[in-house]
Amino acid sequence: MFEQSIIIVMLISIVRLSTPVVIGAMGGLFSELSGVMNLCAQGLMTLGAFFAMLGTYYTHNPWIGVLCGIAAGALGGLLNALITVEFGGNQNLFGLGLNMFAGGVTAYFMRVLFKSSISANVENLWNTSFLRGIPLVGPILSEFSPLVYIGIVLVGVVAFVIYRTPFGLRVRAVGNDPRTLETAGANVWRLRGLCVVLCGMIIGLAGAYLSLGQMSLYMDGMVAGKGMLAFIAVKMGQYTPWRITGMALLFGFFDALQMQLQMSTTIAFPTELVQTIPYVAAIIIMFLNSKVDMPKAIAKPYTKQKYNV
Amino acid sequence: MNGKLKTILLPVVMLVFAFVFASVLMRLTGNNPLLAFGAMIQGAFGNPSAIINTLNRAVPICICAFAVSFTRECGIFNIGIEGQLMIGALGSTIAGIYITGLPLAVHLPLTLIVGMLFGMIWAALPAAMFIERKVNIIVLFLFMNNIASYILQYFIFGPMKGAGAAMPSTDLIQESARFPYLITSPNKLSTAFFLVFAVAAILYVYIHKTFGGYELRATGKNRVAARYAGIPVKKYMYLSVLGPGALAGLAGSIEIQSKYFRLIDGFSPGYGWDGIPIALLSNGNPVAIILGSILFAAMHVGSSNMQMQAGVSSLIVEVIQGFLVLSVAMERFYRYILSRPGRKKEG
Repeated sequence: MFEQSIIIVMLISIVRLSTPVVIGAMGGLFSELSGVMNLCAQGLMTLGAFFAMLGTYYTHNPWIGVLCGIAAGALGGLLNALITVEFGGNQNLFGLGLNMFAGGVTAYFMRVLFKSSISANVENLWNTSFLRGIPLVGPILSEFSPLVYIGIVLVGVVAFVIYRTPFGLRVRAVGNDPRTLETAGANVWRLRGLCVVLCGMIIGLAGAYLSLGQMSLYMDGMVAGKGMLAFIAVKMGQYTPWRITGMALLFGFFDALQMQLQMSTTIAFPTELVQTIPYVAAIIIMFLNSKVDMPKAIAKPYTKQKYNV
Repeated sequence: MNGKLKTILLPVVMLVFAFVFASVLMRLTGNNPLLAFGAMIQGAFGNPSAIINTLNRAVPICICAFAVSFTRECGIFNIGIEGQLMIGALGSTIAGIYITGLPLAVHLPLTLIVGMLFGMIWAALPAAMFIERKVNIIVLFLFMNNIASYILQYFIFGPMKGAGAAMPSTDLIQESARFPYLITSPNKLSTAFFLVFAVAAILYVYIHKTFGGYELRATGKNRVAARYAGIPVKKYMYLSVLGPGALAGLAGSIEIQSKYFRLIDGFSPGYGWDGIPIALLSNGNPVAIILGSILFAAMHVGSSNMQMQAGVSSLIVEVIQGFLVLSVAMERFYRYILSRPGRKKEG
């Protein structure tokens, strides 16, 4: 009986912990497939988490909060589109800059609004209560945030869009060979811009999950490495939605394991070292598959002639 | 507009924009930016003690900026400095605590060298994977930074946990591994200060006055052309990542051996990250790097006074920093804007 309950606890916490990484990675996939490095995932997620909390704080409706999170992510994506797509700026620099900038701006506004690094408690989206009626599994299913289900649907939708629609084909083409696509009459900049804005919106949703689905507040640094893990999951999942989800679940497993070990009094294993596992695993996988088919034009800005001065 | 002017004008314009942006943000949140920046300057340069504080703070930032800048000469963007700095600090703490019975003249440099070696080792894996297998080095650096911070926590809370300290930290290092003070009144200025000038001089001479430096820069400009010209490209790429690794280790060791004398969790407030915008804005000019480091150190030191006097959170410094890195990413945008008035006249 005890064994069974710990397995269920682990499974629930794996799903909970991997959700932001799964959602974030789906966003990152659009950006990276279209040829724009998504190093800014961390910053976008921070913006999403902060503004989701803020929207809920002022309206007392967590769903409006989620929309605010998505809108903030879209704004970050728009900045990305302007700097790295329109003006062909260095994508790594932009990512690093946005991560620093988002961290700084949110922390600054936290001090202005709440005089602290932790916000007030806001309404949350912890449970999906209408699922409770389902026999047998209902009580467990209702334990998850509705955003978890949105995340699951999102994976299917993203897989469909990328492999089964003309838009998905164009996204994959623009990341591999923008010049050919332009010759074929498509607008490379508009397509890439759309992808990074979409990426911002989806990662904003992931951030909203962190502040409303997992917690009911925002605090500085709460995104921790989640944005980074979403970024890694895309590369380790070799740019396919299902494998990416698998990777994110694996990260969720390590995270859950680490939390169990931290609480456990019988096993004294250093949790700091467990936390390094996703990164070490990522390095090993990157070493082994250094020839992975990544989008060929990734991190290469497609520059407009008129800005060459 | 000619190129020479632009390399000076562009960073200045970016700095001005960053401060204007910060001022607007302060204004919007109901503060007086003039008062705030006044308090910041007061806190950083207002009295001799504050100036010494700023200089002490500038030392590790400056070394990190030189490290990033050196890697940039070879055309690589180095964001692994923070992790290498942490591991370097770990190395020098180990050497400082467990090596005993040596005189200061031996122990101090030995501890520094151990720290540098640790930093270099931490840079070796990303370097080898990037150069031999073409793995994305930016991602590798980020992973190594994360791993480094966990390893540091492991040692501080685990095997090297010190007794009876208020903060989680290791034991103190031996007296013989500590930098002596140059002056102790009105504030403690460590002799580690001079190492900055040594680093600056060595790097400047190597990069600009030796044949090796010439080949290194050629590699940075165009790797393929350099290879056809018979330059050992791989050698210079290794040098340009491992050398800064050692420098980052040096910066970490200096923090341990001249300021804290023990390893504290979160001892680095992001010196490695500070170094990046400075290196990017200064374009490899050593004087600009030193001035930039003092500016950044002054922002950090002065920001606590700004928080007290003007009620503006010291976190505004992070906003300015992020804005600067974004500005560098927008370089083409700035160039376009700056060149437009000139174009109109021609047309």
